[in-house]
Amino acid sequence: MLDQLSTLESSALAELSATSTPEALEAWRIAYLGGSGKLKSAMAGLKDVPKDQKPAVGARLNAVKAALEAAFETRKSSLAPTTSAPAVDMTEPGLIETSTLGRRHILTRVREELVEVFARMGFEVAQGPELEDDEHNFVKLNIPPHHPAREPSDNFYVDDPARVARPRMLRSQTSTVQVRVMEQAVKAGGGRLQAPIRIIAPGRVYRPDTVDATHSFMFHQIEGLAVDRGVTMSDLKSTLLQFARAYFGPDAEIRLRPSFFPFTEPSAELDMKIRLRPEDEPRWIELGGCGMVDPAVFSLCGIDPEQWTGFAFGFGIERIAMGKYGIPDIRLLFQNDLRFLNQV
Amino acid sequence: MPRRGALSLALMKASVRWLGKLIGDPTLTAEAAEAALTDAGFPIDARDVVDDGDIRLEVEVTSNRGDCLSHIGLAREMAARGGTWRLELPEPPRVKRGEPVTDALRLQNSIPDLCPRFTAHVVRGIKVGPSPAWLSRALESVGQRSINNVVDVTNYINFLYGQPTHAFDLAKLAGKALVVRLAREGEVLTTLDGKKRALRADEVVVADERAAQSLAGVIGGADSEVGPDTRDVVLEAATWDPVAVRRAARRHQVRTDASHRFERGVDARTIDDPAYLAAAMIADLGGGTVCSGMLDAGRTAAPRRTISLRTDRCRGLMGVPITDEAITEVLRRLSIEVGPDAAGVLRCTVPAFRLDLEREVDLIEEVARVHGLDRVPLQETIRVAVRPPQASESAMQLLGHTLAGLGFYETVTFSFVTEKQAKPFLPPGQELVAVHGDRRAADGTLRPSVIPSLLACRRANDDAGVTVSGGIRLYEAAAVFGQYAGASTERRTLALMLDVPGVERGKPASPEQRQLGVRLLRGALEAAARTLGGEGRLTVRPERPTTPAFEDIAHGLVMLDGSPAGSLGLISPETLRLFGLEFPVVAAEVELAALVRGYPARAKVGNLPAFPSIDRDLSLIVDEAVTWDSIHRAVIEGGVDRLESVAFIGTYRGKQTGAGKKSVTLRMRFRDPARTLRREEVDPQVAAVVELTGRAVGATVRV
Repeated sequence: MLDQLSTLESSALAELSATSTPEALEAWRIAYLGGSGKLKSAMAGLKDVPKDQKPAVGARLNAVKAALEAAFETRKSSLAPTTSAPAVDMTEPGLIETSTLGRRHILTRVREELVEVFARMGFEVAQGPELEDDEHNFVKLNIPPHHPAREPSDNFYVDDPARVARPRMLRSQTSTVQVRVMEQAVKAGGGRLQAPIRIIAPGRVYRPDTVDATHSFMFHQIEGLAVDRGVTMSDLKSTLLQFARAYFGPDAEIRLRPSFFPFTEPSAELDMKIRLRPEDEPRWIELGGCGMVDPAVFSLCGIDPEQWTGFAFGFGIERIAMGKYGIPDIRLLFQNDLRFLNQV
Repeated sequence: MPRRGALSLALMKASVRWLGKLIGDPTLTAEAAEAALTDAGFPIDARDVVDDGDIRLEVEVTSNRGDCLSHIGLAREMAARGGTWRLELPEPPRVKRGEPVTDALRLQNSIPDLCPRFTAHVVRGIKVGPSPAWLSRALESVGQRSINNVVDVTNYINFLYGQPTHAFDLAKLAGKALVVRLAREGEVLTTLDGKKRALRADEVVVADERAAQSLAGVIGGADSEVGPDTRDVVLEAATWDPVAVRRAARRHQVRTDASHRFERGVDARTIDDPAYLAAAMIADLGGGTVCSGMLDAGRTAAPRRTISLRTDRCRGLMGVPITDEAITEVLRRLSIEVGPDAAGVLRCTVPAFRLDLEREVDLIEEVARVHGLDRVPLQETIRVAVRPPQASESAMQLLGHTLAGLGFYETVTFSFVTEKQAKPFLPPGQELVAVHGDRRAADGTLRPSVIPSLLACRRANDDAGVTVSGGIRLYEAAAVFGQYAGASTERRTLALMLDVPGVERGKPASPEQRQLGVRLLRGALEAAARTLGGEGRLTVRPERPTTPAFEDIAHGLVMLDGSPAGSLGLISPETLRLFGLEFPVVAAEVELAALVRGYPARAKVGNLPAFPSIDRDLSLIVDEAVTWDSIHRAVIEGGVDRLESVAFIGTYRGKQTGAGKKSVTLRMRFRDPARTLRREEVDPQVAAVVELTGRAVGATVRV
């Protein structure tokens, strides 16, 4: 045992002198002095040492420990950048002092404006994870395996979709939150939907688009979902019109154009004729997609499509922010140059 | 909701002249075509004038409408708008018919699951040459180069019907046979683009008796290519499993007009017309004869699909008072046969080319689309169930306003960082999460902390020469990611950073400056905690950091309502170097859930004191290592009579304090609830505090 301790000590010291970075040093510390390090296991071995040898081995153990700890501290100070500064007293109370005002980000403010209008119409904010799985991003949104939307080149998968059965991925749309909200509502209702749903889900989404003035691989969407008995497409259109008038002004108009999404049917593109800025002439802007919740999505989430109908809509927050504030390039929003943040 | 285009929108190049011919309107204008297609759900992405005066439209076609990747498909949609347009299908030219096709070629389809139908016509005795002017112009209109009178016909048929066809030189087919089979692993095929490709055993080929002659549904082979000397042509028109085609196209990185269409589904029942038209045109243009009959191998075609449509359900979903008759009329315009079923139910038989119509709701969408979404009524009021304000929303607003008031700018940064930037911030026991694929190597790591993004942003502002008096302060509330044993974690945190104020670039910060930086950031955190949940929620417990991101001797655990909720400290020199920052910064990160948990703060209302207090300041000299907290605790817990509160005033280091020592000034407030205290009455208590701190932390009074 004593021999083993000597070997342990000499190899530890040799390895220690070979460390050249704080990371390596930390790895060494964990290997020898850490909670399940070699020294700890040697100490655990003390109980198997014959009684008469225990005091000697114990003393030697303590000496090795002290030697290694001291060597570690020395090494650490030689690796650490020399700072003679005294420790900061972290317990001193905070101080409030500023010579300028900061600013909330334009995307936060636009998100808040949108949420505010929808909140008045009875929609509550719901959130879901950004790191999702293909179950919520695709399967339950009625996007079957082999659908082109699942191409690895069009999504940020975390797990290899060719190898993992339920690969994790960054959500490519906030529609995932619809699924989670419906699942939770059904669970809360003991396996059945018991009450109507009205939610909006603003948040980050990710898609490997090539970055240019109007595209970014991360952007924000705001998604709406209303589920009730007897909800119609007319309700969808009327809700969007109320939103358009409340947010963009009383002369706003809306227009739906037929489209296709796997999770809504009928599906439509949503255009609004609006003045983005008060000085502009009203013009038609493509804002996003919408439609009636596809019965397949309801069924996948455990909701009876014969009892309930619903609508969903979604649009990009950047697009609204850029239009409304005359921002020429989406990249400005994510560069966070303070000179830009001060402008908007 | 995805953005349009996200779900594999396809673009179809369409000629206005072709469309006009198909709907019997030779004077069709681009504007009229564009308006009709847009209304039907096929918006126009671009419009170009072609050399000969035709106009080429780039039409957006959604992934469910493979049938509209063709002029006939689009013309059919235009004709369904109502009005005078009628779809007129092209008549094949009258040509000579020759020997039975079975004498010319043998066909075998061994994999009908992957090739539901394979047909072949044989055209004999043709002369390959340039196409007539009308055909090359027509192809030019849709962006195709004229090659010869055989290849041009196959391209033309593809753009017309959306049915890809392929021509083989019969003389080059060994055994005068075509065999549809799986490739042999490693089998080599030289394709029309001149590339030698090694095939895999799950790929479908069309072969002769010897070797593969084309990669099915994707690209033809060079060995049996039609050339100037070709006399006899075999014309393939088939359908393929969309998944097999997509896989092969992706694997071999070759996207053709054929694969584009097959990936979106071509129905086996719609082959006959385009197949014969192609054969007849080749015979007509090349002066040959079409062998009589057609080789045809595959599985039995499914009967046309029949769907029941409840008209009440249709009205109920649309919110439109449309009559059963009007519904019937709309469906018939879409070539859907409508017959009676039970009362209020229509029995709808769907044409073969509409692979997308499978369920009742698919038909309702068709009614809504063709009847017109503009006819869905708008109501001037909507039903609303009023909800209370959401605490989580109000809390985040308040947080933002508070921090902005303290000089912090909110950033919105990408959730990705590089692995190198992420590593110093990875909590022990956690692993980094990164995206799969090419991006991983660049900045494909999902950030384990928002601080690295703030530091990168700070650097970018520095590079841009941005300055703010008192230093730059940034914050962001966002998700952070990690994983342990394959299970991911995602939490939302609030991260803040600020420049240590007053530090000259390149010079080390003084102890006072470092302390001030920490106090300022702590002040912001305290303000946030207080505004969201009331006084006294936040403390900082000095502790070594668990990550190398922070300085060992200037780091603390942020405690919220008694539980650890984050980190606060000076960023370590190595980490500053990593981000190229040449000045010290302080950063903190706390769990957002813990921070907003207290919201809204509960008011604690009590009577105001009736009698004035007496304040006394005391400066104590202590060792550097003595914390304010230990002094404060010693005083508070000392049971000093009528001591109401103890406040921190400041720390001073100078000649009088001596090396390794500092002077800490505190302010004691004494009050008697029943009467006004006299100044001399608190002298003994002040002496008691001196004595207490002397014993507890070795303090001496600075005089």
